[in-house]
Amino acid sequence: MFELRNVTKSYLTPNGRRYVFRNLSLAIPPGKNIGLIGRNGAGKSTLMRLLGGADVPDSGIIATDRSISWPVGLTGGFQGSMTGRDNIKFVCRIYGATGDAMREKIRYVQDFAEIGDWIDEPIKTYSSGMRSRVAFGLSMAFDFDYYLIDEVMSVGDAQFKRKCAEVFQDKLQKSNVVLVSHSMPEIEKLCDVVLLVRNGTIQVYDDVAEGIKAYNS
Amino acid sequence: MGALWMLLEPLVHLLLFTLLFAMLRGRTVSGVEYPVFILVGMAPFLLYRNTALRMMDSLRENRSLFGYKQIKPLDTYVARVIVETCIAATVYAILVFGFAWFGFDMSIHSPLQWIATLLVGLLFAFGLGMFLAMLTHALPSLKIIIRMAFFPLYFISGVLIPASYLPQAMMPVLLLNPFLHLLELIRAEVLPHYTPVDGVSETYVISFTLVLLFLSLGAYRARRMHLISTKNG
Repeated sequence: MFELRNVTKSYLTPNGRRYVFRNLSLAIPPGKNIGLIGRNGAGKSTLMRLLGGADVPDSGIIATDRSISWPVGLTGGFQGSMTGRDNIKFVCRIYGATGDAMREKIRYVQDFAEIGDWIDEPIKTYSSGMRSRVAFGLSMAFDFDYYLIDEVMSVGDAQFKRKCAEVFQDKLQKSNVVLVSHSMPEIEKLCDVVLLVRNGTIQVYDDVAEGIKAYNS
Repeated sequence: MGALWMLLEPLVHLLLFTLLFAMLRGRTVSGVEYPVFILVGMAPFLLYRNTALRMMDSLRENRSLFGYKQIKPLDTYVARVIVETCIAATVYAILVFGFAWFGFDMSIHSPLQWIATLLVGLLFAFGLGMFLAMLTHALPSLKIIIRMAFFPLYFISGVLIPASYLPQAMMPVLLLNPFLHLLELIRAEVLPHYTPVDGVSETYVISFTLVLLFLSLGAYRARRMHLISTKNG
């Protein structure tokens, strides 16, 4: 479960401070797959980063008793000048997978992302599709209670989407997902709760269809 | 190829300057051969300068890695110091062997003191780099001014000439600069007959470093959340 208590989050931009959330409090029940929907720039990714602990609120508390993955997004998480293999090794070391465990995870990501010998090229030479395949595969190589997936699946081709769905079926037996997506069928298929992020507030909908309706209206 | 260039760039820089100034200024200065004199001082100076300057870019270069909550900005600063030290040590070793090969006397007069001073200098560079990083994070436009300020430091820190050649009347002001102290100390520890100017002291560098570390780590502590979450870094 997640609990947000009086969370305020702002960013300092060259033109001053911009608030994303003010005094936000809500609780998300445990064991649910969570969909984050909202317009571009509404604060979905910020919320996800806050949930994952990759960013911290200005004030307030975000409490959880689960292990949470890093935010798996389209851009972040990789050092562009290092090769795919080095990036994977780096993440393995952060999460304590060394020796055989590391080799096994590298093989898993290489197979999953179908990048073959591209694995030894710098990440910055990858296409966005390849990059997101590696990012997604890498997060799937580790076990978490919650996976934070930020629009990664929407860029892939049909075959990759099918593969993601297969792995997800398997992972979601034990784990949950926090999913940012603009694809409503995907949200409908995977999520049990929808959080609609709009104008600095968050509306929790236990009924997914109702949440999507509110988003579209 | 990129890895090779990492070593080649400082190597060529050092070699070129050493030989250029040796040609301009003649063979010896205060009893030592000029190329040796230059190398001994310029190598640590470049290490400290590069460390301090590159730390200003650490946040921007590693922003994508802060998605992993285990990684803190401080890690990237420490990593930068380690990387720069490894590069500088390798380049220096290559050049020392090269110079010795061509018959220069590359022996170190008091090696343990030399290493201690180098480490103090590294700590100073780390403190300075952190300080500049905190400063330029708050005021990004200062970066270019700081970069430019390092150019005159070349001359007033006694990289190319012994400090005793600098104007004596200015000495009290010039001695405020810790780089001058560091370079004089390092040269006195490497070259047997080199006497540093009056007023050069290890204590000054150490106290300066401690104050700098206190300030920069304090600023880091106060702004650590902001460093990760900012959008303009």
